[in-house]
Formats: sequence, structure tokens, C-alpha cells
Amino acid sequence: MSQLDILLIVLRVAFGAFVPLCFIAVLVWMERRGAAFFQDRSGPNRAGIFGFRAAGLVQNLADAVKLITKEDIIPDHVRHKFYFVLAPVIVFTIAVVSFAAVPFADALVINGTTYLMQAIPTDLGILWFLALAGFAVYGIILAGWSSHNKYGVLGGLRAAAQVISYEIPMGLAIISALVVYGTVNLTEIAQYQGQLLFGFIPMWGVVLQPLGAIIFIVAAFAEANRTPFDLAEGESELVAGFHVEYSSMKFGMFFMGEYVAMFTSSAIIVTLYFGGYQIPWFSTETLVNNARAVTVLLMLLMPAFAWVFALWMAKNNKSHYDRPNDPRVWEAKIYTKLLWVTVAALEIVLFVYLIAVSGGDADRILVALLQIITFLVKTTLMCFVYVWVRWTLPRFRYDQLQKLGWQTLLPLSLLNIFVTSAIVVALS
Amino acid sequence: MLADGLFILFFALSVLGAVGLVLFRHPMNGAMSFVVTLISLAGLYALLSAKLIFALQLIVYAGAIMSLIVFIIMFLNIQPDDLPREETTLLYVLGGGILVVPIGLFLVKIVASLPEQAIAIMGNDFGGVKEVGLLLFRDWLIPFEIVSLLLLVSLVGAVILAGKRGVTK
Repeated sequence: MSQLDILLIVLRVAFGAFVPLCFIAVLVWMERRGAAFFQDRSGPNRAGIFGFRAAGLVQNLADAVKLITKEDIIPDHVRHKFYFVLAPVIVFTIAVVSFAAVPFADALVINGTTYLMQAIPTDLGILWFLALAGFAVYGIILAGWSSHNKYGVLGGLRAAAQVISYEIPMGLAIISALVVYGTVNLTEIAQYQGQLLFGFIPMWGVVLQPLGAIIFIVAAFAEANRTPFDLAEGESELVAGFHVEYSSMKFGMFFMGEYVAMFTSSAIIVTLYFGGYQIPWFSTETLVNNARAVTVLLMLLMPAFAWVFALWMAKNNKSHYDRPNDPRVWEAKIYTKLLWVTVAALEIVLFVYLIAVSGGDADRILVALLQIITFLVKTTLMCFVYVWVRWTLPRFRYDQLQKLGWQTLLPLSLLNIFVTSAIVVALS
Repeated sequence: MLADGLFILFFALSVLGAVGLVLFRHPMNGAMSFVVTLISLAGLYALLSAKLIFALQLIVYAGAIMSLIVFIIMFLNIQPDDLPREETTLLYVLGGGILVVPIGLFLVKIVASLPEQAIAIMGNDFGGVKEVGLLLFRDWLIPFEIVSLLLLVSLVGAVILAGKRGVTK
């Protein structure tokens, strides 16, 4: 193994492990501010360090300190303490590991060696996700059961029944997508979606498989135990469901696991149905061949975006009443300066790249970075859909949930498989 | 070297899990130790470069079937007191052991008679999704379809049997 091999292994594993963890903070912030946005209020925006509030992101730090310093209780009535402790670990670990097979950029070719840009470069792809998705149920079942609490057991039962029944339409929706793509390898699936349909529509899964995409997204919501399918928590009827007896960081693990699961399933949805890391209309080869033009375009677009963003910050980040030396205006000014420093640094990096190292492998690395950004933007948008749905739709009743799963999604996904297979066979 | 170590580890875990399934009195402990067995079997498949079987073992056995069983244990809330007392366990274990000894000796003999050969990893993407699929749907299509018919029949039978009880009540 050359040093490059080792470096790339470290980078990919670090990406696969740390990006989901960083997204916990982003997603918790997005959930809170998103909820506030949909309910026409401000949301948590006061917690700050020396007046820096970062639009409410500092609130996450405060929450983390609170959760870590809380008393960690294992109730006396818990007989199976091992399972009680194991359950949050399972939920969290499974959520992080199931991201490992998702490609975040096109296969990178350096010095003639191809590197699959996945944390675990396996070609099992979607099977890896399915295999691990089944395990998350154990965490919930064990938590509910070992809590030895009526609410806990009820929540665990509901969650388990829901996840098991929605795994079936999910698997069937994946089958019809696989019939179209002809592979289970997620990198190949994303490469397939880089083509153009009729020469001008990006061949994304959502265009080729609209019904399958809807079924998969609904099932993914149910698998992640998010509203409108969060009967397992149902705080108005079950208090908090399966994690009612948990406190401190053991609750924190469930909490973080939920957001990592949301991130992972958004990443899978994006990879299967929204082109993965593909930038629409620009395939990897086009970008590599026109790397210089892309760089110049980036250098022009970045200041423009920064300028608009700075204006938006100055407009919104100020007190709504008269204050002498408004600290929020001062805060926004500092952010604007930081923003311009970042833009200037990036411009210098891109300029050096343009005159010194462009051409050859450097182009490929640049394109890979662009694709990583595209992938993260798409995933963030999909996560926003999760937040959007959560604060728009009320919770289902339990019988409605099972009816939707077994009587609507299951027949629809079977129909989808027949129609898709017929079309694929007719066209080939 | 690492692969050998992992193989031995998974082998030990799978046997220990199976032993635990038999010996644990509480049903949940038994079920969880069986999950350990299933996962370590999946690990053995992965080390034997049967990638598809590895994924299917995790999806079907460890993921779906065992979680249903754990679900049922939780749903019925089976406690150790609900189980019948087994006073003749030792007798059964001894008797079973004596019955199994000849088969074990036979297996040892077979393994000992295996020719000594250098072990190489199978090439041509052996055990990959595509290869197994081609084999299954091209060379073994009719047996595969017959097996799936068998499964369908048992599925329909289970639904009918489960439905019948509701009608008579």
C-alpha cells in the first residue's frame, strides 16, 4: 500500500464517520429553527458566547453541556441492565455505520488507481443499508422491553411493528429501482443517474421511478420513526415511548441516533432517487475536461453569493427595537468580515490551483470536492423535507399507519415492480 | 493473518451463541445469544467471500426473522416463571450427546481425509451479487422456481390457518 492509499482510506473513513456526527448539530438546529419558521416564531436564538450566537447554533452546545452533566440514572426496577445500556448504543452505532456504503463523490482516479468514494468501498451498496436498517429495531425493542415500563413496552411494540411492516414496501420500492439501474452498487447507481433522458432531462431516479420514489420516501420516514410516523414516541399518549426511562447521555444517544438516522436515510434517498453526488447536466467527465472554466466560474460566483448573503445577514440580524450600539449589528459585521476572509482565502487557493497545478489529477480532486459539496447540499435539502413534514403533518393513528403500509404502499409497490419490469423488458 | 484471527473469533462466537441459546433460561437472553450466532455466521460467510449470502444472512435472518421472534417474546411478555420446569434436562443433554458422538467422529474423519492444498481466494468475483444471480436465474431456474412455489404454498397455508380460528370463534 502506498502512502496515497493509506491517506485516502483515512480520509474516506473520517468522512463517513464525522460528517454524520457534524450533521447532528446542523440538523438539531435546522429542526428547532425550522419548527419556529413554520410556526411563525423565532426559535432558540439567545444562547451565545460573548455575543456570538451563530443564528442559534450555540444553543446546541448548551444542550450538549446540559445532557452530559445531567445525572445518569438506571432505575432500580430495571432487571436487565445490560440490555438497558446496550439499546442506545445499538441505535446510535447502526445509524452511523449504515452511512458507510453511501458514495459522496464519483470514483476518484489518481495515478491510474480508482478509489471508490465510500467509507467502506464495498459493492454491496443498498444491501448494506438494508442489512443494517433491520438491526436498528433491536435497539428500540430492547430499550422498550428492558425499561420494564408500560409506556416503554408500548412504544417499543409500536416502533417494532411499524419498522417491520414498512421494511416490506421499502424493499419492494428498492427492487423496482434496481430493475431500472441493473445494479446494487450505489456508486454505479449514481453514475447511471448522470446520464440525460431525451438529451435534456437529468436521468434521476425520481424521473424514472416517480411512484417508487414516493413509496421509498414514505417508508424511509417510517423507518426513521419521524412524524407523521412517530407513534413510538407519541408524547401525548405514551409520554416518550421507548426512551421514557432514559436520562442524560443515554437519552442523548437516542436523540443523536435519530438525527444520524435522518441524515443517513436522506443520503440514501438522494443517492437512489435524486442523482447522488451528480451535478445536474454536468457529468464527471465534462467537469474534468472543463476544469479551468469551472474554476473561473466558481471564482466569479463565490463573491456574488457572499455579497447576497452578507446583505441578507445585515437585513435580518438586528434587534427589533431601538438599542444603543445594537450588539446584533456588531455581530453581523464580524460575520461579514469572516465571510469575506473565507471567500478571499478560497479565491487565492483556486487562483493558485488555476496557474500552478491545474490539469491531470488535480482536476479530478477539484471535481470530487465539488461533488461532495453537491451531495451534502442535496442531503441537507432532503433533511429539510424531513423537518418540513414533521412540523406540517399531524401524527397518524396506529390503525391508519398499518393500513397505509399494508393496504396502500404494499400493493402499489408490487404494481410498480410489474410495470417497471414490463417497460424495462420492452425497451431492452 | 487478520482474516484467520477473525475467522476463529466468529467461529467461537457462533458456537458460544448456540450454546447460550440452549442454556439460557430467560427467552430474551436465548434470543439475543442466537442473534450473536447469526451475525457471526454472516461474518464467516463474508470471510469465505460469499458477499451476497453475507448480506442476505444479515437482512433475512438477523434482521427480519430474529427481530420478529424478539418482538413476539416482548409481545407475549414471557417470563422464566411461565416456562415449564425442565428437571430432566441433564438426561436429555447426555443422551443427545451420546447419540451425536458417532456423527461427530464421522465428520472428524471426513475433515482429516481432506487433501492438503494451498488455499487461494476464489477469483472472478465469486459470490458477488451478479454471479450468484446469473447462476440462480440461468442454470438453476427451475429448482429456484419450484422452491419459491413451495414458499408461496406455505405462505397461503399459514394465512388460511391463521384466518380459520377467527371464523370459528
